[in-house]
Amino acid sequence: MAEKKVRFIIERQDGPNEKPYTQEFDVDYRPGLNVVAALMEIQKNPVTVDGKRVAPVVWECNCLEKVCGACMMVINGMARQACCALVDEIKQPIHLQPARTFPVIRDLLIDRSVMFESLKRIQGWVELDGSWDVKDAPIQNPYTAQTAYEISHCMTCGCCLEACPNVGPQSDFIGPAPTVQAYLFNLHPLGKFDAPKRLNALMEKGGITSCGNSQNCVEVCPKNIKLTTYLAQLNRDVNKQALRNIFNN
Amino acid sequence: MFNATFYLRRLHSLCGLLVLGMVLFEHIFTNSMAIFGPQALNGALAMMELIPKPIFLGLEVGGIAIPLLFHGIYGIYIALQAKNNPGRFGYVRNWNFTLQRWTAWYLVVFLIWHVGYLRLYTKGVTGTPISYELLQNYFQSPIVVLLYVLGMFAAIFHFCNGITTFCMTWGITKGPRAQTVVSYLSMCLCALLCLITLTFMGSYLI
Repeated sequence: MAEKKVRFIIERQDGPNEKPYTQEFDVDYRPGLNVVAALMEIQKNPVTVDGKRVAPVVWECNCLEKVCGACMMVINGMARQACCALVDEIKQPIHLQPARTFPVIRDLLIDRSVMFESLKRIQGWVELDGSWDVKDAPIQNPYTAQTAYEISHCMTCGCCLEACPNVGPQSDFIGPAPTVQAYLFNLHPLGKFDAPKRLNALMEKGGITSCGNSQNCVEVCPKNIKLTTYLAQLNRDVNKQALRNIFNN
Repeated sequence: MFNATFYLRRLHSLCGLLVLGMVLFEHIFTNSMAIFGPQALNGALAMMELIPKPIFLGLEVGGIAIPLLFHGIYGIYIALQAKNNPGRFGYVRNWNFTLQRWTAWYLVVFLIWHVGYLRLYTKGVTGTPISYELLQNYFQSPIVVLLYVLGMFAAIFHFCNGITTFCMTWGITKGPRAQTVVSYLSMCLCALLCLITLTFMGSYLI
């Protein structure tokens, strides 16, 4: 009896400025097979369906449990994590593409450093002027702690940026993930002192005003962060900040 | 600090919903008089002629031309920043996002034709007053009727979907329930206004 195979159609690219091309690979099926595990099989034996031995497919992965965000790619047209994309649950043949919202380095490996730059831009950190023992430290607001916890799950995987029609080479929008991080740090008992700085950063070109309300971000977020709700909250905060900028000076 | 982008975007939003929304409502209201026959429409048009010429021209320039040009030109800039992807992500809101841009492109062309021919050429250059008879004659061509109905549908959808996104942009509706309710209500308004449009456009055919 012939073994069951899973067909992968992979969009490859040899370098940042090279032309993309596709190659097809067959991987032996096994229960619970996911896309990362299949890519590992291809890496062990990089032979296409035509029997040609090729360079192994390059991709990025790390935690293998949907926490680190590294293995985000476009699987059957959908931006998602490869490690939790179970072969049993998706349509075959399986199409893999790099998330082209970001610059492609090679094959499925992309350069997501733009998100780190955006986090620096919105001041995605808390300034500390000292340290405390636990009992003396400022406490989290218990009413917003759940929200802060939820937003802190963001792993800058970039799914929301890939799905957002307003993010890409044609636009300067920093995207939903870095924007919403501003709200997380504005909720922090010490971070809130820098809230005006973050809100002003969001008012700049490519900030929250570039959001077009397509709401794809909240649909694709693998961590189920209510991105559109926090974008609306930030819109509110930014409008108030604008009034303060106008009337407090 | 002065964030020009922020104020331009918010002005674009306000200008579209409040000013151009008013223009759309005025058009639908006046034109719907055609439902009650030629006298009713001509009467409504005569009422507008009662406004002194300089004030009327001021309203047309300040209340229509400038906001429309700003909203249109800045809107083209915004539309060019989007790479519509409803084929890959076929969610309702993403379709609305795409339709908002497609209707915008149609309206750019349609409004150049509509304003250029009826306001600037017919009323401005030849000095012919707009009347029921003129419009009825104009709407003898089925292609003109089709393009006008499409133009009205595009403007109405663009306005009604604009209500939904306006509420998000200004942080009025925050949670998904509030956003969905407003989106349903604005789509009901969209259907109603489209129906009124079909009725008054149809009245020229009878």
